[in-house]
Amino acid sequence: MAKILIVDDSSTVRDEVGGFLTKNGLKVITAVDGKDGLSKLKANPGIKLVLSDVNMPNMDGLTMVEKIRSELGNSTVSVIMLTTESNPNLKERGKAAGVKGWIVKPFKGESVLETFKKLSA
Amino acid sequence: MSDVTPLVSKVFVLENASEALGHIKQFCDQNRLIGLKVIYASNIMAILNSNVDLGAILLAEDYCDSLDNTIDLARQINRARPELPIVLRRTSPATFDELSEKQRKLFCATYTIDDLSPLKKVIDEYIFSLVYPNALVRGISDITVSALANQFKHLKASAQTPYIVRDRIIFGEVFSLIPLASSWCRGHMMLQAEESAILDILGFDELTNEENPANFRTVNNVLGEVTNLVWGSFKTHFIAIDDPGPGSTSEVPMVINHQHKYISFGSENPHLCFKYTLADESKDYCISIYQWFVFNLYWSPEDFKEIKASVDDFVDSGELELF
Repeated sequence: MAKILIVDDSSTVRDEVGGFLTKNGLKVITAVDGKDGLSKLKANPGIKLVLSDVNMPNMDGLTMVEKIRSELGNSTVSVIMLTTESNPNLKERGKAAGVKGWIVKPFKGESVLETFKKLSA
Repeated sequence: MSDVTPLVSKVFVLENASEALGHIKQFCDQNRLIGLKVIYASNIMAILNSNVDLGAILLAEDYCDSLDNTIDLARQINRARPELPIVLRRTSPATFDELSEKQRKLFCATYTIDDLSPLKKVIDEYIFSLVYPNALVRGISDITVSALANQFKHLKASAQTPYIVRDRIIFGEVFSLIPLASSWCRGHMMLQAEESAILDILGFDELTNEENPANFRTVNNVLGEVTNLVWGSFKTHFIAIDDPGPGSTSEVPMVINHQHKYISFGSENPHLCFKYTLADESKDYCISIYQWFVFNLYWSPEDFKEIKASVDDFVDSGELELF
């Protein structure tokens, strides 16, 4: 089963998005911030897709993506940002770090599920 | 700057004389005030405790059976809600002459029914002292209703007419705060709710079930997420991408007194307040959430600009934009 890592400091989002993806046949692992996300990614090599918030304590989502590429040397995992931010400058920074896509909250599960399944396959 | 929203404010009217009441009602109608009357004087303090969103108190000197007792009532109100200006209606010329220095300090002004201009001055100075662009007020209301509707999908979210408060009393037991900073504003947004009310609506929410019942942490998290959604939309709609940000980094302490459910943002400014309701019409159930905008550090509405492009972006929220 495909594994998705959800990184968000809001347990409401982790529960809501995680619950939806689990119901739709995806295996979900959660992390509470960017730092936790990096360690979960290290500990779970089977993760194919990371769905991450931007604004989080300890380490923000974009810094986490940059570290996934630079420190973990992981260039294969797909990362999608799920955030309230829609600032093009942040999107550009994400693109440069290898982010595959951007979703402005709130999350609408049905419309993006198929893409998730493809990216995490 | 875009046009200005005619905001309202609630004032507590402590008045027995029917003729005066008629004049005050007319004054309220003409000056965007909603007058709240009390039927039994013995209930005043209880009513003050249940109305946490007032703008001012209008007190008649003959409200109690003697001027001394009216002054004593003003003292009690002032002790309970010092942030609320009390305006005293005199039966004779509107002066402070007969009152001692200590008594005068209880009131921000006096007026008579024959001359309401001092009252008008108080309302302009203490309540409607800041202007809020219409696009901002309407936009805040829209984005918050949308965030609430998204978070509580099984409930109908709606907004009441926005208004101005001077009260510093926190509604309910749970509140969230998030800073707002741009070249035209600096302050905070605050959401306030009753824990039990949110727990009730979460009781039949998809996030909770018998094995995992909602608790106070769930309430905290849900309110935090709504705050986050509103904050993100606020930035998208009202803070331009190339906004240079605030020109100052000055801060003032916020003070929270739990016993009195009191919060001070360190400024005497009134707050922009929105009240939202979440209703389950099938169960005849409705809860309230209050939202304050407190631009205590900087406020320059003439520099405010609504970002037109964001309207389209907002419609597309929730969709995946692949790079």
